[in-house]
Amino acid sequence: MDESRRTLLKATAALLVDQWACARLGALAAEPSTGAGRKVVVLTCGGMRREDTFADSGFQNIPHLYRDLLPQSVFFPFVRNAGVTSHYNTVSSVLSGNWQRLDDWGKTPPSSPTLFEYLRKQMGLRQDQTWLISSNKALTSKIGSSSVREFGPAYGANVIFPKQLLINAVVHAAAEGRAVHSSDRSTVQPEIEAMLNSDNYDGLGWSVGGDTSSLDILTLGTMQKAIEDLVRTNAPVTGDEFTFLVATEVMRRFAPSFLTITLSDMEVAHFGSYSLHMAGIGTVDRLVYELWTQLQSLPAYKDKTTLFVLPEFGRDLDGSTTNGFFNHRQNSESTRVTWMMCLGDAIRKPQIIENPIEHTDICPTIASLFALKNLDLPGKPLPGLWL
Amino acid sequence: MAMTQTANNDERNALHAAAAQVAPSRESSRKLIQRLPVTMRPSLNQQLTAWDSLFPFEQNQVSQFLRGLESLKLSELNDLVQPLKALEGKMGVPRWNFSETQDTMENASMLARSEFYADWRREVQRVFAAINAAAHDASVPAPRPARLILIVLQESLPVGPIHNWKPWDKRAQVLKINGDARRLTDLCMQGQSNQPGIAAQFAQEAEGQSADLWLIDAEAQLQSSLAMSERKTASALSYAVLKPFRDKFLADVNTVPKSIEATDQTLAALRHRDWEPWWPTELAGQARLRSFVIDLFLSGNGALIFSNAFVEWAASEALRRARPRVILARFGLRAKPKPFTGIAIFENQQRISTLPDVDDPKGSATDALILARYIWLAALRYPEHEQTCCLCVVEQQNTAYLIAPDGMAPPWGPDYSPTPEELSAWINAHLTA
Repeated sequence: MDESRRTLLKATAALLVDQWACARLGALAAEPSTGAGRKVVVLTCGGMRREDTFADSGFQNIPHLYRDLLPQSVFFPFVRNAGVTSHYNTVSSVLSGNWQRLDDWGKTPPSSPTLFEYLRKQMGLRQDQTWLISSNKALTSKIGSSSVREFGPAYGANVIFPKQLLINAVVHAAAEGRAVHSSDRSTVQPEIEAMLNSDNYDGLGWSVGGDTSSLDILTLGTMQKAIEDLVRTNAPVTGDEFTFLVATEVMRRFAPSFLTITLSDMEVAHFGSYSLHMAGIGTVDRLVYELWTQLQSLPAYKDKTTLFVLPEFGRDLDGSTTNGFFNHRQNSESTRVTWMMCLGDAIRKPQIIENPIEHTDICPTIASLFALKNLDLPGKPLPGLWL
Repeated sequence: MAMTQTANNDERNALHAAAAQVAPSRESSRKLIQRLPVTMRPSLNQQLTAWDSLFPFEQNQVSQFLRGLESLKLSELNDLVQPLKALEGKMGVPRWNFSETQDTMENASMLARSEFYADWRREVQRVFAAINAAAHDASVPAPRPARLILIVLQESLPVGPIHNWKPWDKRAQVLKINGDARRLTDLCMQGQSNQPGIAAQFAQEAEGQSADLWLIDAEAQLQSSLAMSERKTASALSYAVLKPFRDKFLADVNTVPKSIEATDQTLAALRHRDWEPWWPTELAGQARLRSFVIDLFLSGNGALIFSNAFVEWAASEALRRARPRVILARFGLRAKPKPFTGIAIFENQQRISTLPDVDDPKGSATDALILARYIWLAALRYPEHEQTCCLCVVEQQNTAYLIAPDGMAPPWGPDYSPTPEELSAWINAHLTA
């Protein structure tokens, strides 16, 4: 990636996080207030088939995951999504350890407590210690906490959608009849600024802790400069890239104990472009590697972080009535069975564990990593990890 | 030729006769449908409502199912559907806001997120199969005419060597074409001095029916292979020609709110809106084909966004709904996603960015190759594939990928390179055999 563009994206992400920090009680936190000091990062990405990733036909598409990270990992080649293979239900199921069967578009919160809530309630973590940073527009801020009375928003996570900021800006410009022109940055810039300046972050799908949802003038000015730079680059900007940059900035400033990142560029498959779908897989491969590198370099994370990387599901079989790779709603192994890679602190030794596992096993595993007690979860903690 | 015509006429008459049994008695048909479990009703009711926009094959299919349903004694039917009704109870269907009159996204969403979804699908398939079997007992075997799927990967698409392709079919063979492969489409459509082409053949047979010959094009080349007098005898769809309609339709689709219930309402409104000002003249008077296009765009799968996705999805839907005898599908180039605006790929890129379009030959070729294969895989889902010859022409390489139906091997040896004339003559002979 072009370095100047990367720098500008980083600057924008940094300023975005700065803004959230300032907007929240003016308190910046670098260390978790409680907890055992362990950190967990879960990165999910949309639908990717095994044959396009961890298979002889797919290794070439994931050079970092395959060559650089697999040898350091506990790798589970058979991970089953036995629930509803939609984004909101899948991520909710991973986070709650129970198969969620909710409105696909995130109208209702998970029906059982999420890890965010367990962590905050049992460990007394502040909200800025649990985050979900998502590229995926199929998710909503309701995923940050459940509808269970004893838990709920009081124990929920910060949920933000950086990619949506960019999309909304572009769509808003289009709706107003304004085209984007690379040499005329003023055409997009005001749109992004308007989104940032919104009185209600939830209108963007954001749910940032506290009641403050407006930007102070100083930060707004700084943000505007960053956006101006971002637009000026005139280079492809992917949503996942921006989500990743915001996520790393959140790690630098808040060092959350539990962070979930969801990427979605590969979901362009829904529009029928296999080449762009593969480009999205390539982006995931690169960003996971960069995330891992970041986790090794940030003092708050180095040697105390476990990273889980998994697709949410595969994609439908070629020749299926659901149009193959376009979709992910077929009840087939191609759609339901994917893989998961675990890296870092909790790894006993690099190995491949072929025993099948399910998405609902991830929540009890992470709960064990944080020594959470008395959770009534159907899944079992994963083997191969120090729990 | 004469025999083929007879067979086609027989088939058409059979279809029309079957259709005629249902059309005048829709109310009685709806009463029949009421005997079925709730989750089986919306699709059938929707088809009855949209009867005139159904293709003859679909009309025949519905008629046959209803005949089967009517032929079952009430006690037999109750025994047959009891497990499905019990399953619906377990799923909570009686408590759902479930439309019985039409398929909706909300219906699909509620079914798909039920923990019994897989069981439900199995049960529905079982019931459908049993009722269809009851109808089959009384029906005459349908004629099985020869069929053709001709796929063109146009010359700007740099697809890799055929021997590196993911296999489509174990019967496939690679042909080196001795001559300019770009001529093949015209030769097939227009024929040669001693043999009429597909266009003339269908113009003679079709008598105004356009469901048997489909021309689906990412650009606007295929329609030119039809004489003006032949155009009404084909279902011709061009992504390029549809542009004004697509642009308007996409803009309206993008107003759909993020709510399933509201989406259903908006999509229903889009379906029934008067689009007359935006339809191309090529689709004048073709109400059924217009309805097909709207259904195609509302069913997603990129048909509104990328030309090659349009070609694949239109061909797949034509195969499913119309079972045509001939499909010509031509893939083309798409533009690269534009800087910055590419993140909103579902938007009209030309409208939101003034940057000029830049072709993406490599990406287009990757897309076209997998989508071309998908057309053949779609055909394999239906029994008609047994009579279907599939030929995928790679114009840039003057080669072709041929899947000949059993017993219809080409007359040349494995090392022979046919000329475009020889190849088209063999194809046309296959269609009239």
